[in-house]
Amino acid sequence: MKGIEFIGKRFVVSGAGGIGAETAKLLNSLGASIILLDINEENLNNTLLSLEGTNNRAYICDFSNVDGIEQVVKLIATENGAVDGFVHCVGVGSVRPLKMSKYDFMLKVMNINFFSFVEIVRCLSIKGRYNSNGMNIVGVSALGAYLGNSTKTAYCASKGAMNAAIRCLAKELAPKNIRVNAVAPGVTDTPMARVAEDYGADSDEHKMILARQYMGVCQPLDIANTIAFLMSDMSRMITGSCVAVDGGKLSS
Amino acid sequence: MTQEEKIVLLEDMLELDGGSLTPEMELASIDEYDSMAKLSLIVLMDEECGKKLTGEQIREFKTVADVLNFMGE
Ligand SMILES: NC(=O)c1ccc[n+]([C@@H]2O[C@H](COP(=O)([O-])OP(=O)(O)OC[C@H]3O[C@@H](n4cnc5c(N)ncnc54)[C@H](O)[C@@H]3O)[C@@H](O)[C@H]2O)c1
Repeated sequence: MKGIEFIGKRFVVSGAGGIGAETAKLLNSLGASIILLDINEENLNNTLLSLEGTNNRAYICDFSNVDGIEQVVKLIATENGAVDGFVHCVGVGSVRPLKMSKYDFMLKVMNINFFSFVEIVRCLSIKGRYNSNGMNIVGVSALGAYLGNSTKTAYCASKGAMNAAIRCLAKELAPKNIRVNAVAPGVTDTPMARVAEDYGADSDEHKMILARQYMGVCQPLDIANTIAFLMSDMSRMITGSCVAVDGGKLSS
Repeated sequence: MTQEEKIVLLEDMLELDGGSLTPEMELASIDEYDSMAKLSLIVLMDEECGKKLTGEQIREFKTVADVLNFMGE
């Protein structure tokens, strides 16, 4: 079987953080041009600079403002033409005891991690905005969607919502040749994980999480490799799935 | 915020009766000040005082007064 290549493809990658930047670089090294979305200009610029070719673009977009997304997607479609896929790596890894988790906070996490994902899929899956032969979509979920983690109700619920949504989106969008999958990373070495570690490194909860992930901490490239597979024709019969890349955590 | 108001915020956060906390108290002697409470403290500092609190700073707190001072005016 031929390896994965994306020459001539154009992918939207949201989130130029640890996992997003690595994903953009990998998809780009396999031939794709990349359209980056993030709220953080520095992350956007650094990632953009690391990409090869002249057709890569970056757009500032605040995913907590779900109503503003349609405008950005329209702009992307006008300036770049139809896209071949979308990877959602934007996310906030909020750790917060229930006592402090008021509705405002819950809503913000859901907006960034979940509603913005569905909104982009909605806006991109309109005729003319995606390749008429179809496209592939991957949402970065989290293994936490399957686990009970104290202080992570908002986060895990947002990822559980994503996992449920991709099954429905996969079925609804299959007639348009659009596949929709998710990747569920375990603890991965990125700024997000380092912040969580800074707050809770001495907690028994954190030690337990690391102990359960018996193959060790994932690197961003481990997640990006799985995303590349799901974005390629090698996975052409996979849709509505959530693939765990978790160093064994779910099985322990 | 007055010293009294700050103490009430901390007592509420720790689910302690009013009047339980005094500035001299060692944090290590307060059972309710556990890892969950430290996470709540990060949120409280952010939302009530507009201060970013890091794990390192939390580890440096020894007494209730240290926390009150960090909360600012
Ligand atoms: N690192 C881990 O251990 C881990 C584990 C499981 C799942 N994940 C998931 O992987 C995804 C990527 O995480 P990461 O580890 O690369 O984190 P990261 O913090 O390095 O990157 C997240 C990116 O999202 C951007 N972002 C945050 N809020 C935004 C907003 N309102 N609008 C637009 N952009 C915004 C940030 O600027 C950043 O570039 C997230 O969805 C996260 O939940 C991470």
